[in-house]
Amino acid sequence: MYEFALAGLLPYTGPLPRAIVLTLWLSTLSILLSVAVGVLGALCRTSTSLVLRWIGGAYVEVLRNIPLLVVIYLIFFGLAQVGLRVDGFNSALIALTLNAGAYMTEIFRGGLIAIPRGQYEAARSQGMTAFQLYRYVVFPQVFRIIYAPLGNLMIGIVIGSSLASVIGVEEVTTWMRRAGDETFRYMESFLAVGVIYVVLAQTINIGRIVTGRWLLSRAPIGHRR
Amino acid sequence: MSTDPASPVLRIEGLVKRYGPHLVIDGVDLDVTAGQVVVFVGPSGTGKSTLLRCVNGLEDIQGGRILFEGQPVLSRSSAIHAVRRRIGMIFQSFNLYPHLTALQNVTLAPVKVLGEPSKEVEERARGLFRKVRLEHRAHAFPSQLSGGEQQRVAIARALAMNPHLLMFDEPTSALDPETVGDVLAVMEDLAREGRTMLVVTHEIGFARHVGDRMIFMDGGKIVEDRPPEEMIANPENPRTRQFLGSILHH
Amino acid sequence: MSSQVAAYWYVFLKGVGITLWISWLALILGGAVGLVIGLLRIAPWAAVRWAAIVYIEVFRSVPPLVLFFGCFYGLSYAMKLDLSPFSAATIALTLTASALMAEVVRAGIESVTRGQWEAALSQGMTYPQVFRYVVWPQAIRVMLPPSVGVYISTLKDSSLASIIGYVELTKSGLLVRESTGISFEVLLIIAILYFVINYSISLVGAALERRFKYVH
Ligand SMILES: Nc1ncnc2c1ncn2[C@@H]1O[C@H](COP(=O)(O)OP(=O)(O)O)[C@@H](O)[C@H]1O
Ligand SMILES: [Mg+2]
Repeated sequence: MYEFALAGLLPYTGPLPRAIVLTLWLSTLSILLSVAVGVLGALCRTSTSLVLRWIGGAYVEVLRNIPLLVVIYLIFFGLAQVGLRVDGFNSALIALTLNAGAYMTEIFRGGLIAIPRGQYEAARSQGMTAFQLYRYVVFPQVFRIIYAPLGNLMIGIVIGSSLASVIGVEEVTTWMRRAGDETFRYMESFLAVGVIYVVLAQTINIGRIVTGRWLLSRAPIGHRR
Repeated sequence: MSTDPASPVLRIEGLVKRYGPHLVIDGVDLDVTAGQVVVFVGPSGTGKSTLLRCVNGLEDIQGGRILFEGQPVLSRSSAIHAVRRRIGMIFQSFNLYPHLTALQNVTLAPVKVLGEPSKEVEERARGLFRKVRLEHRAHAFPSQLSGGEQQRVAIARALAMNPHLLMFDEPTSALDPETVGDVLAVMEDLAREGRTMLVVTHEIGFARHVGDRMIFMDGGKIVEDRPPEEMIANPENPRTRQFLGSILHH
Repeated sequence: MSSQVAAYWYVFLKGVGITLWISWLALILGGAVGLVIGLLRIAPWAAVRWAAIVYIEVFRSVPPLVLFFGCFYGLSYAMKLDLSPFSAATIALTLTASALMAEVVRAGIESVTRGQWEAALSQGMTYPQVFRYVVWPQAIRVMLPPSVGVYISTLKDSSLASIIGYVELTKSGLLVRESTGISFEVLLIIAILYFVINYSISLVGAALERRFKYVH
């Protein structure tokens, strides 16, 4: 009978905080960059220019249909061959940003196209500037539509950051493999890291739920029967 | 249809229904005999729908009792299915099964619930489509039908079970004005056949011409229960007068 | 394409076949488990619902790569199971897919309105009858398009099986890369193959969505 012994991992907990910080850092950067990519992408997808719409659409379809792992390999190994050397962390960051950016594009696009034209016209007719229009009329409505899928995508990014381990980034999943290899306490390291990811993901999930409650308590629009 | 013609088809005694602390039906007594058409009116939120839903055991009740053909209606008992089979219910929003054709909507329950042979049921269903004047629409899907047509299919669906009581909950409230008449005409036919009917509606014309009794409900209570002509001409209670005034003058 | 890489066409082709096969298998198994979890998720008993929520949230939160690791090394050492890469990958993919499918099932069933339940109950149907004849046929139509999404997601996750040495499409590419020393071209071919497969599947999904949309 296998004896479950988390204590066996204790000597290896030293690098764990650093690994957690790296996972958080990689995820946070990817979230911020992919939001930027997503806003750009959504503007392309909803633009009046056919070329921009096509480029935006092609970007989304290509990146959504290729596994993140393959994108990471392409950037890390593939680009090196054509003379562009990108280190592990940045390869993972670029791949995650490109991948999540495609989903961000679709989320923001969904938010934008859900706002009726009349809202823009009403705001313009009151003499609002473009900034005021987006700040006070469009964004508050878009946010109500996107916060839930945005939360899910943020969880997806944290999960995706685990793939950085395959190109040597010393984040949480790499720590799990190291600790397992050195102690043969694979089950323990797996469960420990599983708990870490569950905590990270559920923190985002709870943030999403709290945001939803807060929005509902302020003005329950979009919940008409 | 019920065994003893003198005993009521439906008897409600001291019915109380609460949603949490919110009292919705506040001690309702009611006897309905075979062949009666009882029309319910009243402001919205006074418990008319809830009353019909209690009769069908779709809601559990907090006080009093409901007897349908002498049997108690208990929403959680296994006998409730047998009661519901003998009560047809027509909803404001039709609630047709969208994945089935009009004909399949009508035949589903008799075949699957009553276990009748599908040939016979289909035969009967065709007769029902004639009765609701929709012979030509039997193979359409609900999404292809107008509101008035959907509601008539819903009536045929209820009739297919050979119910002893029909309950209509604002059957024409969700309809375009031009299709209301078709549905009311079918309901009038059913009343003339001598069916026992409970009808919640704001169609005062229907109440006057077809109803045997008119019941005004307010605040979860029966305020007035009289022949429609009388109530409309000369409402006793000030609330009844106010309510009828508000719907007659619009 | 350089002839050096082209000579390995059958390796790529076999990789495609294996990737399709294992992700299909995981979708079916995950669909079966997900159906049960999804039904428990809307059960009338709070404790059962919570158990289902915990299952869904856990397997949604733990990265598939970590699951692959846990199934392959963790189970092998802890349970002395000595799982093959194929078995470990199938289990890991099934766990992830089942959490996704549970949500698809729940959303499908909850999309059937209360009025449908009431109409059917008022005709004297029992709960199992309502479910079988009225709710399920409507729910399955709602579930089909997102199930295609789960298939694509599972297919992409199956690339992670390469980490534990299972030779599906990605691992095939890595092997060709090793023997030819050519990285960019080989990886690009792999990316294009994934794209073609997944994009085709997504077109099928879009067609299903159009086909099954009711006009309410
Ligand atoms: N499921 C429910 N939960 C809580 N309150 C309800 C529910 N259904 C109805 N009510 C309340 O019960 C009251 C009576 O409703 P209803 O029977 O629909 O009135 P009517 O049909 O006369 O308009 C209303 O105040 C309504 O808000
Ligand atoms: Mg009502």
